Amino acid sequence: MTPVIQTRGLAKRYRRVRALSDCTITVPEGRISALIGPNGAGKTTLLRLLAGLARPTAGQMAVLGGTPRQDPAFLAGIGYLAQEIPLYKRFTAEDHIGIGAHLNPRWDAASARDRLRSLNIPLDRAVGRLSGGQRAQVALTLTLAKRPRLLLLDEPVAALDPLARRNFLATLAAAVADGGLTVVLSSHLLADLERVADHLILLAASRVQLCGDIDALLAEHHVLVGPRKDTTAIEKTRTVVQAVRTARQTTLLVRGNAPVIDPDWESAEVGLEEMVLGYMGQDTPPPIAHLTTVGEDQ
Amino acid sequence: MTWLVWRQHRIQLLIGAAILAVFAVLLLVTGLQMASQWHSALVACTATHSCGDQGGLFLGNRAVGFLVITTLGAPVLAGLFWGAPLVAAELETGTSQFAWMQSITRRRWLAIKAGWMLLAAAVWGGVISALVTWWSGPDNALHLDAFNPGRFDIMGLVPVAYALFAMALGIAAGTLLRRTLPALAITLAGFIAVRAVIALWLRPHYMSAVTVFYKVTAGYTPRGSYWQLAQGILGPDGRAISTDTVGPVIAGVPASYLPASCAPPNAGAGPIAPSCARALARFHGFVTYQPAGRYWTFQGIETGIFVALAAILLTVTAVALLRRDA
Repeated sequence: MTPVIQTRGLAKRYRRVRALSDCTITVPEGRISALIGPNGAGKTTLLRLLAGLARPTAGQMAVLGGTPRQDPAFLAGIGYLAQEIPLYKRFTAEDHIGIGAHLNPRWDAASARDRLRSLNIPLDRAVGRLSGGQRAQVALTLTLAKRPRLLLLDEPVAALDPLARRNFLATLAAAVADGGLTVVLSSHLLADLERVADHLILLAASRVQLCGDIDALLAEHHVLVGPRKDTTAIEKTRTVVQAVRTARQTTLLVRGNAPVIDPDWESAEVGLEEMVLGYMGQDTPPPIAHLTTVGEDQ
Repeated sequence: MTWLVWRQHRIQLLIGAAILAVFAVLLLVTGLQMASQWHSALVACTATHSCGDQGGLFLGNRAVGFLVITTLGAPVLAGLFWGAPLVAAELETGTSQFAWMQSITRRRWLAIKAGWMLLAAAVWGGVISALVTWWSGPDNALHLDAFNPGRFDIMGLVPVAYALFAMALGIAAGTLLRRTLPALAITLAGFIAVRAVIALWLRPHYMSAVTVFYKVTAGYTPRGSYWQLAQGILGPDGRAISTDTVGPVIAGVPASYLPASCAPPNAGAGPIAPSCARALARFHGFVTYQPAGRYWTFQGIETGIFVALAAILLTVTAVALLRRDA
């Protein structure tokens, strides 16, 4: 089956600034993909390119089987919600549902009203007078009501409280389970999305660091802990993502499943957050403190 | 989409309609009064053969007359209040991102939005112009000034074209600048500048003007509501003479150019002395003007120019909106 999203060498440059470089990703159908990266990594740029709101300066992409373009059929398949949660402030939620009904072929007004009522959001109040969280819920509801095949959400849970966040992610997971929907949702916090995502796109410094099935990615990453020594032997067979060297020991985050023969190294499974933070190049707080303990026990 | 346009702009449109309604009532009431005044004045003066002197008529409607003159500015209001915010406000608040992620192309979104607002602008300009044209009927008949700058601009077809142009200018400025306030300023300045340039320097040359030379003793006035571009007196050497003097003037010629036999008190008292008549015969008056019969041709040409400018601006808008990232 053709993936819902496939890009090759996608790049976007705003005057002098590279917002996205050499972006090659694939997202298969039916996935919930977490688009993770620090602020300014290019997440919004990538989503806007996929939605057809911006044009790439280089590279190719196929979204829902075609290039993003100004065409009602393509647009009907895409649900995009910008970070700014754009809504007409003086219009009510009901007004917005009316707009959607006039402008979309597969509009599900009934479920939109049901969802907002269940969230106790007044349908007849101007959205400018709703709270930030309620506005976000209205916008999300409208995006879902379009019944898109690909949902692109830019920081959708940022404005929600923890309960609403969980509620929203559950709604999303249920919609995906019903079939025919693929989701890419961005956040700079992995914890937001870990619960529902089964696919990961990791952006840092405007480049794709990782893209793929989360379980598969975890399976090919390991943490190696050993004495402070030369690591060239390991670097020959595996990619060292991150190396933390202290006076006594070396901790490596490595990619690749080649066996480590040197008995000095302890290999351990890696958690999603460790892996992601390793790629982001952030100062991971002693990533592997508990592993050290395990090593000493042995 | 039409529904969205109406839902978004109905308040603005209703305010516009209310202003039109008030204006219409005012002009209908005073216009009917004027028409009957004019009619009875004509009846009265025909009876006494004194129709040459009706200058004092209609003085009672100064306030409304002033209001009518201010309709010179009416077209630009459409561009300021309806045009400039049309796209800019959506870009500013980000609501364009909402609209553009519905299943409608940006091209169609712009076409429908701009289309309805252009229609509204045309109605705005058209209704005002129709009222002003009708209201000014007796006044035009009295003063024969419908072709003059300032009068030409508020009657007939051109106010519709001005309103379309103002609307297109507002939309284009708003789209290119992406902000309402600067777009308002550009719309106002641009409208005034373009209108002034065309009215002052282009309009007189839509067709080559007619120049008539005449004997100063006979005088000459073109027929109907002509538009006078220049007039003056040519001296015996064929060059224009300065008529801008404080002294006495005989048949348009300052007395300083003429022999003493022309000078008052001789002049006016009885027949002109033969020497004076011979001197006057060497002077010619001229008037350069656009004949009254060209009025509608000029209206058509000016309308065409402004409609074409509006079309260019809308094309620029569409290209900018579709080429640029959203």
